[in-house]
Amino acid sequence: MSQLQDPSRPAVLRSRTTAEDRPPTAEISRLAEHLFRHEAGKLVSVLTGIFGLERLQMAQDVVQEALVRALQRWPYYGIPQNPAAWLTQTAKHLALDLIRREKVFRDKEAEVIRLVEGQGPAPAAAIFPEQEIADDRLRMMFVCCHPQVPAEAQVALALKTLCGFSVSEISRAFLTTDAAIAKRLTRAKQKIRAARIPFEIPAGEELGRRLDGVLQSLYLLFNEGYKASSGEKLIREEICYEAIRLTGLLAEHAAGNRPKTHALLALMLLNAARIPTRLDGEGNLLRLKEQDRTRWDQPMIARGMFHFAQSAAGEEITEYHLQAGIAACHCAAKDFESTDWRQILSLYDRLVEFDDSPVVALNRAIVIANIHGPRAGLDTVAAIPGREKLDSYYLLYAVLGEFEAQLKDPLAAAGYFRRSLQLAETKSEQLFLSKRFRACEDQILAQRR
Amino acid sequence: MSTESQNGYMLLFRGTHWDKDLSAEEIQKMVTQWYAWFERLTQEGKCKAGHPLEREGKIVSGRTGRTVADGPFAESKEAIGGYFLLQVETLDEALEIAQQCPGLDYGIDVEVRPVAEQCAARTRALEQLAHATA
Repeated sequence: MSQLQDPSRPAVLRSRTTAEDRPPTAEISRLAEHLFRHEAGKLVSVLTGIFGLERLQMAQDVVQEALVRALQRWPYYGIPQNPAAWLTQTAKHLALDLIRREKVFRDKEAEVIRLVEGQGPAPAAAIFPEQEIADDRLRMMFVCCHPQVPAEAQVALALKTLCGFSVSEISRAFLTTDAAIAKRLTRAKQKIRAARIPFEIPAGEELGRRLDGVLQSLYLLFNEGYKASSGEKLIREEICYEAIRLTGLLAEHAAGNRPKTHALLALMLLNAARIPTRLDGEGNLLRLKEQDRTRWDQPMIARGMFHFAQSAAGEEITEYHLQAGIAACHCAAKDFESTDWRQILSLYDRLVEFDDSPVVALNRAIVIANIHGPRAGLDTVAAIPGREKLDSYYLLYAVLGEFEAQLKDPLAAAGYFRRSLQLAETKSEQLFLSKRFRACEDQILAQRR
Repeated sequence: MSTESQNGYMLLFRGTHWDKDLSAEEIQKMVTQWYAWFERLTQEGKCKAGHPLEREGKIVSGRTGRTVADGPFAESKEAIGGYFLLQVETLDEALEIAQQCPGLDYGIDVEVRPVAEQCAARTRALEQLAHATA
């Protein structure tokens, strides 16, 4: 099937008439899950590496065209032996065609062709193309997560350029419009140009600082996907998996291979492993104690524990380490009752030192209640510094409601659940809270009889 | 004019560039679906041939065929992107197959045409001759 290996030669059209030259239908499985999406992300990085950040749009257009060509040809001529290589070759040739039309490149044509063909300036580039690709992908990550790019735009830019999501997929994930996302992307690109953000992996001291920024952006990306809130559920889950994939790539690369990267990866994996059990069949939220632990993703937990072990190197403890530790405690417990709450508490005690957010303190109060009972929980909540910041936070009232219910005061509990219901934003949360509220009401009625 | 044909039916897929806004994920899904559809029809003996057509070609027009212009153009709703040549007995069967086209969800139109026994113009000419000599 030579016409598949060389897309630059016009296709010789041959009918597939005999059974022998038709490839078997098992070929369909040759397309790995999300292959096109991941290849698109990789190719955009590679092309940007060759043609520069100013041509990011061209890189994206070229990659899209390559995917479209695959759609045109593969159904008729069969899926190539190496689909990723076909896409790469096609994209590169398309880019070359575009560049050839530009006068300024005619002079440098030979050099550009060499770059595109992979015989780059350094001989090492030809021998280790895998490394070049990994480097380009990391360069793109450092660009997308640059501190001068606004946070919202970072997430959109990463999803579009690194993860191969379309504008429409991104807008569905965040319950906004295509136009709004397009605007975010445009602003990001303008910022990149204005700040002259370079396409490179920082070195020396700067690497440490910038790496923290990248980790933070990846954490943000994961959280966007993890929030059991608005937007299409399936796409949001995919965002979690993409955050995991990118963090994994970062951890594999020399520049990103630090214990804290492993800690972040561990925390993502250990939380994502529980995604299948967060909602029941009707879209109701299930709490930890209600989740069917047999459906937690065990291979993912194993991977998470592996990276958690990797994170134990060196002397730096970060918030990621602590959060990963907490998640590890949950994943290691075979049921809710066997959870090592004291270990979790000690991790929270350290976490509140890092992060004075009252939300973290609230979570710690839940742990206290699990060890010392709901009265202690109430006291802890009352003593949270900056507690007034939680006044419009629906979870505060949900937690207080739980404590009062456990103290057998359904009246107080009902009051809290009602307040919580007023503040809750998503359907699944509202469903959950109204169930708790009605359960309290039933108890009040039962008490009066 | 009959729409049933002994010579099969042609499916013409109209509309190019409908796919330029599709996400990578959707494109992959389409590749898989279209491939499976074409494969299945071929193995069932219902599809004799099928090919995609390159997007840009030329249009020859004018009395002596001297005018050669670029075309058809991109973003064209009518431009033909590819074809299947079906070997089925009835128009209904051809229509049923056409309705399975994965591109329909994305704005592709499928034109279904019976393959004629002989050219319609030649048929008319022969009929006229028959009338004239009757």
